Amino acid sequence: MEPGNRLLDDYVLSLTGKERPRVCFLPTASGDADHYIVRFYRAFDGARCEPSHVSLFRREQAAGDMHEQLLSSDLIYVGGGSVISMLGAWRAHGLDLTLRRAWERGVVLCGLSAGSLCWFAEAVTAFHGAAAAVDGIGLLPWSNCVHFDAEPERCRAYRELLAAGMVEGYAVEDGAALHFEGEQLARVVSSRRGAKAYRMRWSGERLSRRPLPADYLGVAWPAEQSRAA
Amino acid sequence: MGGGGFSSPPGDPALDRYVLEATRVPHPRICLLPTAGGDSEDQIRRFYAAYRHLPCEPTHLSLFRLGTEPVDVASVLLGQDVLYVGGGSMLNLLAVWRAHGVDAILREAWERGIVLCGISAGSMCWFEAGVTTSFGAPRPVPGLGLLAGSNSVHYQAEPARRPCFHEAIRTQLVPPGWGVDDGVGLLFAGRELVEAVSARRGAGAYWVEEARGSAVETAVEPRRLPGREELELPTPLSIVEWREARVRRR
Repeated sequence: MEPGNRLLDDYVLSLTGKERPRVCFLPTASGDADHYIVRFYRAFDGARCEPSHVSLFRREQAAGDMHEQLLSSDLIYVGGGSVISMLGAWRAHGLDLTLRRAWERGVVLCGLSAGSLCWFAEAVTAFHGAAAAVDGIGLLPWSNCVHFDAEPERCRAYRELLAAGMVEGYAVEDGAALHFEGEQLARVVSSRRGAKAYRMRWSGERLSRRPLPADYLGVAWPAEQSRAA
Repeated sequence: MGGGGFSSPPGDPALDRYVLEATRVPHPRICLLPTAGGDSEDQIRRFYAAYRHLPCEPTHLSLFRLGTEPVDVASVLLGQDVLYVGGGSMLNLLAVWRAHGVDAILREAWERGIVLCGISAGSMCWFEAGVTTSFGAPRPVPGLGLLAGSNSVHYQAEPARRPCFHEAIRTQLVPPGWGVDDGVGLLFAGRELVEAVSARRGAGAYWVEEARGSAVETAVEPRRLPGREELELPTPLSIVEWREARVRRR
């Protein structure tokens, strides 16, 4: 859902292996902001997928069982915003368990910013002021830090949190995406040239930051590039 | 307040003023917590539209927008004279508050004597239990429990809540409590009810308790507040500007 850049949207759609996948948007982290939901329906238009969304704050407008809606999706896309608010609301509705079941069934789960952090065991959030650790729903047994390029404060905080015992993990710059299959990293892709991801791990007493080569989707998939232009 | 107020047009300006008067401060600081509505911009705009013209200092705190508006949540909340909780989903409201530790801050605010109020979900949250429609069909859920008893809102406006409330009280799933109509407010000092007030004709409050296996409802006659049409016109803009300038100088 990057403005004017559909590369990552196309990539996550392709992972479903479906011609017209059912895509369900979870805008909880934004408080179900109307403008965000509109942006989702623009980015994931009905021509190439079957878009829907689950709103926890406007329940009366959503018909049917949201758990079933999520479980029968091919792709679940979690939007950005406040990761703490989102996880609190999810747990109140039992959505954390539903998302785990969806994952076990093979539904493709993705998201950006808060929608990336949530899948990991631990994450770094700087949304609420000073950077702090937050427990995600833990499908991936690693840690995650997003906006790694944009906010130097966060890089420092991630290193400090790792030194204080946070589980090893992945730092990701804007425009880069980690693609996991099960718990294992399968590929790093990017929608912007030069956007990087890093593996953060201990080698002996030293914390190492190893850059992970990212496949720029605009080159690998020329057809998509012309569509994005 | 059982519903109505600034967030649902045409509103109940008498209730907007009533919560300011409860502070006994001439120019109270009032903060909206729009969490239950997902920090809906619409609710925030209506809050300022209602309170900009009144003798107070309105502000709001968005837990979903702290990324762009970072503030120290505890010091903002504890620095107010009134905390006004907007309507929406009671279940989400409490879950998001707990995730941020806001529930503990609100208890401290209450103990410090800050006036706590709210509409709909923002009313039920203070009691031991409320009736939420966050799942679709009405269902009883626990609240913060600062006030004893239970609370159900929109009592006449949303009739599906009443049987659920009655049944929960009859089976003692929730303690006895108050059904409250749109446009009606209950004022508590500590945990004691001081009075019920109504800004709408025909609107009231109802005490519901269990007696010999059934739920028994007793209407409470509220004190009439002036209706919309009886209130004076909004304060002229020049006076509002002068007040704002005075606040800035403070």
